[in-house]
Amino acid sequence: MSKNMVSVTIDGRTVEVEAGSNLVDASLKAGVQIPHYCYHPKLSVVGQCRMCLVKIEGMPNLQTGCTTQIMKDGMEVRIDDDEVRAAQEGMMEFLLINHPLDCPICDQAGECGLQDYSFKHGQAFSRFSYEDKRTYPGKERIPLGPNVVLNMNRCIQCTRCVRFTEEISGTGELGFFQRGSRAEIGVFPGNELDNPLSTCVVDICPVGALTSTQFRFAERVWYLDKKPSLCTGCDAGCNITLEHRRGKIQRYKPRANDEVNDHWMCDFGRTTFQAYDEPRLSTPKRRNGRGEIRTITWDEALTSIHHSLAHGAAMGTVGILARGAATTEEAYLLKLLADSLETPHRGGLREPGPERLIPTSNGGLVGSEITPNRRGAELAGLEAPSSAERTAKMLAGAVNGAHSALLLFDGGRAGLDNALRSPAALEGLRKAETIVVVGWATTELTEIADIVLPIATHAETEGTLVNSQNRIQKFERAFPPPAGVRTGVEALVDLLRKFRPDFAPKTVADVFGLMATELSALEDVSLTELPASGIQLPVRPQ
Amino acid sequence: MAAEAILLRRSHGATALQAPVPLEAYRGDGGYEGLEKALSMEPGDVIEEVKASGLRGRGGAGFPAGVKWGFIPKETDQPKYLVCNADESEPGTFKDRLLMETDPHQLIEGCAICCYAVGAHICYIYIRGEYVRQAEILETAIREAYDAGVLGDNVLKSGFKLDMRVHRGAGAYICGEETGMLESLEGKRGQPRVKPPFPAIIGAFGAPTVINNVETLCNVPHVMTRGAQWFSDVGTDERNTGPKLYCISGHVERPGVYEFPIGVTLDELLEAAGGVLGGKALKAFIPGGASAALLGAEHSHLPMDFDSLAKVGSMLGSAAVVVMDETTCLVRAVQRLAKFFAHESCGQCTPCREGTNWSQLVLGRIERGEGRPEDPDLLLRMTANMSGTALCALADACVGPVRSLVQNFRPEIEEHLAAGRCPHPYRPVFEETA
Ligand code: SF4
Ligand code: SF4
Ligand code: SF4
Ligand code: FES
Repeated sequence: MSKNMVSVTIDGRTVEVEAGSNLVDASLKAGVQIPHYCYHPKLSVVGQCRMCLVKIEGMPNLQTGCTTQIMKDGMEVRIDDDEVRAAQEGMMEFLLINHPLDCPICDQAGECGLQDYSFKHGQAFSRFSYEDKRTYPGKERIPLGPNVVLNMNRCIQCTRCVRFTEEISGTGELGFFQRGSRAEIGVFPGNELDNPLSTCVVDICPVGALTSTQFRFAERVWYLDKKPSLCTGCDAGCNITLEHRRGKIQRYKPRANDEVNDHWMCDFGRTTFQAYDEPRLSTPKRRNGRGEIRTITWDEALTSIHHSLAHGAAMGTVGILARGAATTEEAYLLKLLADSLETPHRGGLREPGPERLIPTSNGGLVGSEITPNRRGAELAGLEAPSSAERTAKMLAGAVNGAHSALLLFDGGRAGLDNALRSPAALEGLRKAETIVVVGWATTELTEIADIVLPIATHAETEGTLVNSQNRIQKFERAFPPPAGVRTGVEALVDLLRKFRPDFAPKTVADVFGLMATELSALEDVSLTELPASGIQLPVRPQ
Repeated sequence: MAAEAILLRRSHGATALQAPVPLEAYRGDGGYEGLEKALSMEPGDVIEEVKASGLRGRGGAGFPAGVKWGFIPKETDQPKYLVCNADESEPGTFKDRLLMETDPHQLIEGCAICCYAVGAHICYIYIRGEYVRQAEILETAIREAYDAGVLGDNVLKSGFKLDMRVHRGAGAYICGEETGMLESLEGKRGQPRVKPPFPAIIGAFGAPTVINNVETLCNVPHVMTRGAQWFSDVGTDERNTGPKLYCISGHVERPGVYEFPIGVTLDELLEAAGGVLGGKALKAFIPGGASAALLGAEHSHLPMDFDSLAKVGSMLGSAAVVVMDETTCLVRAVQRLAKFFAHESCGQCTPCREGTNWSQLVLGRIERGEGRPEDPDLLLRMTANMSGTALCALADACVGPVRSLVQNFRPEIEEHLAAGRCPHPYRPVFEETA
């Protein structure tokens, strides 16, 4: 092994860690948690909260775990120890004497570091007289900026938020003011906390001092179901936890992935689920001879699409076009469909968007396309490496009415700029004999479609996406789609079986498995075995 | 004791204001001979000499100065710094002030010798913001030294280059903590850093830095001129050497700064200072500044040096001796000290931010007669949680007096609790400010 490994024993459990590892991190490896507030693996170490005190063999006093680096073999650490417990209890008591204890009305309740550690390391009674509590009058709800509200009474002065703006966002809006028990955090005069990552301070605040304007009072956190997912706001592919209550998404929170977004995500990404509130497609529909849109059954719709596409293929002019919001598996099925139709007119749209930057310890993560999976579509074969031009040509063909049948896999958010949605493009598209639109929302495209298939949003399905670094990552289904709506994979498998009755794969995992047999980069990987941090694919020249 | 004045030999009448000794007079009195001598030696030998003298830091911690200098890496691409700690802010401590305002060149010489020994070419004197006059005196003296070629590109024609600057603080006690001072010097919020790394390795502006107190550095010229042997012969024993300034205040006839060989007893010091004010009986005293444990009158014969005081659970600290007569309310006295620490805590770490304030509140309620029977034990538990758990020494500084009050003077607290009021008549000396 090239890295210098050293062993450390924590409460009798010996683990090997890289030399120089932080003791708080190392203890997790040993299955022991050192309680901590101010320490954050991606922020500078300040040793302020003193919650992480541990006993280290051969050292006189208790030591802070967060400031301890394991440099050489044989360090012995005790956490399960009376002296350590007394210190933890003492620290909890100090932290709580001035705390308002307003958990019943606090947004953080249920995911609060103070609650958690009080339970584990605190005591059940108070020796403090209530009348002496320090408060910050007038600072119970001050907006620090558009997205974050501060309640200074709940702050435990860990300065994580301050360090975030200094070290991660690099914007330095926040400071630590006053001193002693009057110490407080706040924005520098004349400034406000307004940067593209500002809501991250809410995530890292261990208590309810910082709350997000988007989420505060929306829902009690213990009612939320949480699923590992990916942000689809751009092709950066930030890892998130999708949190919903019975199918209503309440928030996205960043999920740590050191290979991708560290612990961060952008404020814009946090708003993207709001698009799922837009009017949904709920049943397949078809335009009849008089131009009226009518609800039909899935079977009728699939037969009808099969018919139109087969007819189009016979004339040699079928176009299949996916937006980069399709999952890799959906894109792969579209590719198989195009193969069956023997049409060369297939492709994924490249849709540049505003640059989004997530500063990470790996040198930063950039997203610059508004759809999250253009590279996945390419990987699936929807666009051959050199065929960006052909895609463009094809798009031109589509908007100029060169195709007699067009299948548009929209699948993404409505309301965004889209090359296909300009009035001129729509005018061009109308020239096609049949337009099939597969998507989840009513858009300008469904307005002109002849046949519409309603599919699930990314929250309602599972699959993989390939981000701007060419890393393939999976996300899980958070909740099922509404009745009458199928997932993109289900819809496309059913359609494909009209062309290829022997087509066996059914589930997302099946499709991924089939794809993996074709792609050497994914050799021997199944969807279930795809690591949580994703797999880095070779980066293709653009 | 017929003490020969060393540090104060040019500060006539240590308690009076006088004009600072100018450069010429300083030189006429043997000044800068220590520096000449040092410049003629190898830097390493200067460090050895200071080590041999046994000189321990006079700022409070009592760390051997020569050993500290020896920590500075010899081979490094980085600049090295000396920062002289002139942030004297501990209640009852006013010895550095006297040294600076009466004999500034003694300090400048000490700084220059230290810089030469460790290879530093820049020296900052970090002085507390309230010492306006003293800062001006130092600046004038530094200008004199530059003009006379004592400082600058060619110190005393030796080829050694040394620049010296006075840097003024903005009024925070915590900037006297060495890493808090470095933060402040660098223009940041003055709050202590996590240690290690220690300043000798990563100090000011990320470079190796020596930090010494004013009095410590003022001793250095004498170590050079009179020799380590002479120095180590002064004082109690080989671990407690050299002359020492004691600041005596409180209930005493003639408060002020007195110089003695280290290890003077309170009895001797009181004798020099005219005894307890109004001839009253001594009840208690603080031997070493606000953070030292209070001692009872029975310790008045104890040598006040580093080790003798540590043995009875107190400390020499900054040698600020506060005398309290029989009428003093010790609860009130200690509450004032705790209030000071609560006010000066930088607030970054939990035990200090919360503990100093809570101590102050509990002592306040005892003093008001609203104490609870469990309060003495609460104070002990609380101080146990503050002791050795904080980021810097300030939390422990508050523990010193508070814990000693409960441990050494518990009956005083019990009296308050039993009476439901302070048993001592309140005698304001000064109107208290908030
Ligand atoms: S607001 Fe939160 S993150 Fe910021 S210092 Fe207070 S407790 Fe820490
Ligand atoms: S950078 Fe992109 S993927 Fe990451 S949170 Fe923002 S919008 Fe989402
Ligand atoms: S002990 Fe007090 S002064 Fe020292 S760092 Fe902690 S809060 Fe600041
Ligand atoms: S986590 Fe170590 S001091 Fe806060």
